[in-house]
Order: sequence, then C-alpha cells, then structure tokens
Amino acid sequence: MAVGVIVIIAVVAGIIILLILISAGLYNSIISLRNKVDNSWHQIDVQLRKRYDLIPNLVETVRGYAEHERETLEKVINARKMGIDAKTVKDQSEAENMITGTLKSLFALSENYPNLKADQHFLRLMEQLNGIESNIAYARQFYNDMVMRFNTRIQTFPGNIFARMFGFNSRDYFEIEEAEARGPVKVSF
Amino acid sequence: MYEHISKNRAKTVFIIIGFVIFITMVGFALGFYLDYRYGMSSNYSILFMVFALIIAIIMSFSSYYYSDKIVLGITGAKPVSREENPRIYYMVEGLSIAAGLPMPGIYMIEDNGMNAFATGRNPEHGVIVFTRGLLDNLNDQELGGVISHELSHIKNYDILLGAIIVVLVGMIAIISNIILRSFIFGGGRRRTSRSSGGGILSIIFLVLGLALLILSPIIATIIRMAISRNREFLADSTGAMISRYPAGLANALKKISQHSQVKTASNATAHLFIENPFGSKAKAAFSNIFSTHPPVEERIKRLERMSLGVGI
Repeated sequence: MAVGVIVIIAVVAGIIILLILISAGLYNSIISLRNKVDNSWHQIDVQLRKRYDLIPNLVETVRGYAEHERETLEKVINARKMGIDAKTVKDQSEAENMITGTLKSLFALSENYPNLKADQHFLRLMEQLNGIESNIAYARQFYNDMVMRFNTRIQTFPGNIFARMFGFNSRDYFEIEEAEARGPVKVSF
Repeated sequence: MYEHISKNRAKTVFIIIGFVIFITMVGFALGFYLDYRYGMSSNYSILFMVFALIIAIIMSFSSYYYSDKIVLGITGAKPVSREENPRIYYMVEGLSIAAGLPMPGIYMIEDNGMNAFATGRNPEHGVIVFTRGLLDNLNDQELGGVISHELSHIKNYDILLGAIIVVLVGMIAIISNIILRSFIFGGGRRRTSRSSGGGILSIIFLVLGLALLILSPIIATIIRMAISRNREFLADSTGAMISRYPAGLANALKKISQHSQVKTASNATAHLFIENPFGSKAKAAFSNIFSTHPPVEERIKRLERMSLGVGI
C-alpha cells in the first residue's frame, strides 16, 4: 500500500519535473532566438551607420561639380536624416529604401558630368557605397531569416502559449517598399 | 544542422580521447620494453606511461589551440591584406554577414590550381584559404558560391574536427612510424647481443610491431570515417542558403574539377579542401568508397536540383 503511494508520487513528480525542463528549454530557445533577431538588427545598423558617414562626404564632392543640382542633393540629405531619426523597423526600412533610391538618382545625375565621373575621390566613394549597399542587402537577408525563425517559433504550438504568457510579439521583416524594385523595369530610349 | 554540429563535437572529443589512450599505450609499451631489457626491478613501464599521458594531454590542448596555425603552415598559406585584394574582402565580408558569422581571416596559397578550404577552432577564429588560381579564374557569382561553402564549414564546426584530425592523426602516424623502425632495429641488436631468453616477450614485440604496421591504413580509414562525405553535401546546401544562388557553386565546381591540384596538399590535409587537391582524375584510380570527397558530378547534380536549373 505505502509502496504504491510512493510510486505514484514519484511518477507524478517525475512528469512535473520533465514538463518544467521541457518548458525551460522552449523558453530559453525563444529568448535566444529573440537575441539573435536583435543582434542581426544591430548588424544592419552597423552597415547603415557606415553609409550615413559616407553620404555627407559624397554630397560635398558632387556639389563641387554640380552646384545647381540642389534638389537631388537635398533629397539625399533629407533621406539620410530620416534614416538617422527612425525609431521602428518599419520607419527604418522606409528611410533606407528612400536613401537607396535618392543615391541612385545621384549616380544617374553624375552621368551628365564627365569631370565628376573622373574624380578619384568620387570613384572611391562610389566603390565603398556599392560594397556597403551589398552588405546591407546581406545583413537584411540574415535579419529576415532570423525574424522568420523567431516568428515561426512563437506562432506555432507550443511556442504560441509561451508567447501569450510572456508577451512575445512577432517582429517586422525588413522589407523593400520601393515601387521601382517591385514593379516591372521600364526601359526608355 | 545543429545535429551535425553536436556530432562534430562528439567526434572531436572521441578522436582526442583515442589519441590520449594511444600515446599512453605507446608510453607503456616503451617502458615495458626497457623493463624487459634492463631487468624488471626498474619501474619504467609505469613511469613512461604517466609521462606519455601528460605529454598526450598537453599535445591535445595545444592541438586545439594551434591546429589551425599548423594547417596554415604546412599548406604554405599566407595572409592577404585588404589592399592587395579588395574584391575578396568585399565578398567575404558581405557573405559572412549573410551567414551571421564574424569576418574570417583570409589567406592565400600561391598555386595555379583552383581550390579552397576553411580552418580554425571556432567561428571567432575562422580562416578561409584560397589558391591564387581560384581567385584569378572564378567570376563573382562562382567565387560567392565557394565562399558560402567555406563559411558553412565554419558554421558547422567542420573546421575544428578537420584541423584536429590533421594534427593528432598525423602525429600518430609519425610516432607509429618511429616506433616501428626502432623495434626493427632494436630487435636486430638484441638478437645478436643476447642469444637466449625472453622467447615469449620477443613474440609479443613482434605482434606489437605488426599491429603498428597495420595501424597506418586504419588511421587512414578513421580519417575517412570521421570526415563523412556527407559534410561536403551539407556545406554545399547550407552554402546555397547563404548565397541564395546554388548555380554559382555548381558552376564553380565545374571549373574547379578541371584543375583542382594543389602542390602543397598532402594525405593529411586532403580532406580539408573543397575538391580533391590531387585532381579529380587521380580519384578515379582509387575506389570511390575510400575517397574523402564525393564525386563532383553528384554534387553539381544536387545543386542543380536546388536551383531548378536557373543560371546554369
């Protein structure tokens, strides 16, 4: 009789301990994924800062050759300011898409100024910006991969129970909002 | 993938333990031999065993920390600066961001053959080595495929296992070679100086010598077993996830397989490379089962299936 009771208690205690261990593992995996998302966001940030640092330099160089293209230059500066001030992922991705777009029109504009195109300083800045641009794309790819894993974990069973208990929210993807990038490419001669 | 990482860790520990046991046994055998020659009263066997155990443990620790440097040394790889080759720096930087890894060191082997490998004890100390031929002959997309493949080896901890195997197993091969030779010479001298006595012991030594002789091919088999050709397939597919362009690596492998010979590669380091450094032709001569690399045609076929033929 006494032995039977002890066995039952032991089994129940064992099941409870097992459940605690499983939920601890799950909780930890969610936290570690969330940290990975944060860290990968930081990686994008590092690349964005590098670009912010280059833009004033670039604008000054272009201004030296193309003083009256003020409108385009101002757009670049404003987009940069928006990016620096951005607080949320959504704002940030919008601002970044704008910077990429304005930089593109700046480069297109340089086609009209042969002296500018031949400037060594300008060429080096272009090369650096291209490198950073592709790094941003890779960083965004990694960030989105991490967001996908995090969101999947907290939206599927049993992670969704934890998410509701501890208030984990799905993260936003870093999206390309640019109309040009989505729509078909227009070619005009 | 996480399963693969923990498997790699287990194999690394297994190989280190095997190494320590082997060296300790060698120490014991050596002491036992000296005991036999100079009388049993001197406890050389225990002394040598303890001594060998300490040495083996020190060697294991130092192989963990220095195996990557030894690998770089014996393959003749030299560091490349950003100024010398900005292209490779830009590409590795971008792809390591995509893989979520710290920027690895970049080294180069002065060889016209096209090949590459990764080494290091963990991602923080990762190194990717390219041959000059590879950097000169591949376009950006193909090079991106190769870099992603090597970054996957870093991510999967294949690099630690690979480097430890080079050092520890290579060391066992050298030691067993020395012992075998000393037994042959020692045995000859003994027979002339002492005409009688120790019939059973001399048989034991003969058996031990034969066992060591058999050991070399066994070591080679251990390398091949531990490495498992699957890891190349796994690195190919993980790499395609990083570059998002499987066709890049497929096209690179097509080029590399035409001319993959690296002069500084040896049997000890062959398993590290992205493609057999003795050339794909050399592989055909051996049985496929024992080669360290899966057939390149099979790898290309799998990559093509991933990319649905786009870009090939």
